[in-house]
Amino acid sequence: MLGRTMHGIDYDEARDEIVVPQQFGQAILIFKGSASGEQRPVRVIQGSKTMLTALDRLAVDSVNHEIYVPEGDVVLVFDLLANGNVAPKRVLGGPETGFTAAGAVAIDPTRNIIVVGAQARSADGRGLPQLAIFDRTASGNVKPKRVITGLKSRLNDTGNIRVYPQGGLVFTTQQTGYVAVWSLDDNGDVPPRFTVGGPNGLLQKPRGLDLDPKHNAVIVSDKQLNAVLTYEMPQLFQTNTSQQAGK
Amino acid sequence: MTRYFFAALVGASLMVSQVHPDAVGARAIHGRLVRYEALPPDVCVWPAAVQWAEQAAGRQGRRAQALPLDDQTKIFQGPPARKIQDRYPAFAAVSVDPARDEVIVTDENMFQVFAFNRLDDTPASGITTPKRVIAGENTLIEFESGVHVDPATGDIFAPNNDTVDTLVVFKHGSNGDSAPVRALKTPHGTFGIAVDDRRNEMFLTTQHDATVVVFKKDANGDEAPLRLLQGDDTGLGDPHGIAIDPKKDVFYVANYGSHALRRSDREIRTGVPGSGKGRDKANWPYGREYAVPGSGVHDGPSISIHAITAKGNDKPLHVIKGSKTQLNWPTGLAFDPDRRELFVANDMGPSILVFDADAVGNAAPKRVLKGTRTGLAHPTSVSLDAKNGELWVANFGGHSATAYKIDASGDTPPLRTIRSAPASAPSLMIGNPGALTYDSKREEILVPN
Repeated sequence: MLGRTMHGIDYDEARDEIVVPQQFGQAILIFKGSASGEQRPVRVIQGSKTMLTALDRLAVDSVNHEIYVPEGDVVLVFDLLANGNVAPKRVLGGPETGFTAAGAVAIDPTRNIIVVGAQARSADGRGLPQLAIFDRTASGNVKPKRVITGLKSRLNDTGNIRVYPQGGLVFTTQQTGYVAVWSLDDNGDVPPRFTVGGPNGLLQKPRGLDLDPKHNAVIVSDKQLNAVLTYEMPQLFQTNTSQQAGK
Repeated sequence: MTRYFFAALVGASLMVSQVHPDAVGARAIHGRLVRYEALPPDVCVWPAAVQWAEQAAGRQGRRAQALPLDDQTKIFQGPPARKIQDRYPAFAAVSVDPARDEVIVTDENMFQVFAFNRLDDTPASGITTPKRVIAGENTLIEFESGVHVDPATGDIFAPNNDTVDTLVVFKHGSNGDSAPVRALKTPHGTFGIAVDDRRNEMFLTTQHDATVVVFKKDANGDEAPLRLLQGDDTGLGDPHGIAIDPKKDVFYVANYGSHALRRSDREIRTGVPGSGKGRDKANWPYGREYAVPGSGVHDGPSISIHAITAKGNDKPLHVIKGSKTQLNWPTGLAFDPDRRELFVANDMGPSILVFDADAVGNAAPKRVLKGTRTGLAHPTSVSLDAKNGELWVANFGGHSATAYKIDASGDTPPLRTIRSAPASAPSLMIGNPGALTYDSKREEILVPN
């Protein structure tokens, strides 16, 4: 059921499963972590109740056993064990959320927040890129707790987002050629605390992103270079920018 | 002496990388080394080939402009500790030009189009030096998923699959950083191309919106398609290759099978990737903003056969589909009107399937080219040379284009091989990697493509 146009993926450490969006078939495919070769998914979320439309990316909350899917004006939340034609357990979306074009999401289960990479809603459809932070269990038409956005933020076309709860950091790829890092406490028009790989480094169009804190690694895929690059950044993984303790 | 690491490949389109295949002397700190070996001392990479590969890598340095950061941001712009990158071109599409004894190949790794001598045959340790290379900022070449050579003029047509949404046309003989003579804006996700010279029409498949759009053969710029085939009844699902049978006035489409419904009479959904600037043009595909939530299905791979004038929501005339067909990611198509045969580059086979032109339903192929001696490795494109009785294949997973007798079957080795890398070089098949995840249990990086 996989195609050659997969734009998202996440690994569920707790259940040892791989979760992949199938945008053309409007499906979420869950494979065993050991999957190799041609194996069927162990679960498929697909059907009329799912509200899945054009899912590009997703994120797994291994602690609370949920799958988050950013879908334009909404973020859909599914039970991780859902299978078949099931409705999302929560839907975050509406004018009060302030976002549209949601394209990425990350979860911090220690602070019980999610970060949504999106654009601000605006009448002309040209809202600024933003990272909107909500309560993890936020549902319906609710305001964000905080929003990082504005010219100083240099937020561009946000790619994947990852959170490092222990350091209180949120990482996101920027098509301007670097990984930008903010504190999860940041709010408003603030510049990134750190960048990785640029600007003016090797990265050209970074999109994919994951963290390997055990090895102090920031791992990035670049669609211009057709490459996967690993940056060893102990200085970031030894940082704690947050006033709120992470585990 | 060149040293290299060998990466492991797993899973359909998921790539699991455990080591750094490009690193010469680099550390593999937390990856597991699958295999490590030195090339024999008498093996060297051709300097010319290395030179154009390095030039290609340099051209990929295209970065969007950004406002400068100030001293409130601690900038770490240093190089990565490790980099996984295929140093060699990855052939995605092939078109043979028997009139000029050339083979035209697109490279989706380094964004190039090559012209090779048709009779080139390079041993496993070598790399074939192209006659010409079209690449650079002016060419608009990035992920060229298809290629067509005009039999009369030798002009090269190459659609872009994702990043540029532009089909480029180059005059025969173009070389270097040449601007295309035409650059046609195409729908997002355009993949395959076929040309009907009798009607002066150009057929393109589009993956994302499951369509076939038909343009004038010489369409340029912002011209709208002449016809659009899209809808619930068309049988199209993640379509890739396309081929025309001029005698029966039909065209064939290779479908992976996944698709969702579109409705033009419903409110346009906002905030999702849509059909872009083309939305106001006639016969432009209904994009994802028109998608019906939860309507997606996976119908399985198929070849759908359509009337040459099909449009709107027209049903296919026939469908080849089922377990006997062996279809598995059918990607490239070519049709031989004299032999009455349809050739399928069957990516996951890996195989070349040959069907009778009149095959219908759960039909077995009349010939299958498959096996370890064939050199087939994730074949994504097939092209026919009726003049010389040959069949050409682009092996996206093999750094090669291989030629066979047109009636080859079974585990038959190629007649000749054009190589973009020594046969021993691992083929990473990283193409437009928009995501990755880290498997902390196995200490592996998973990359969907």
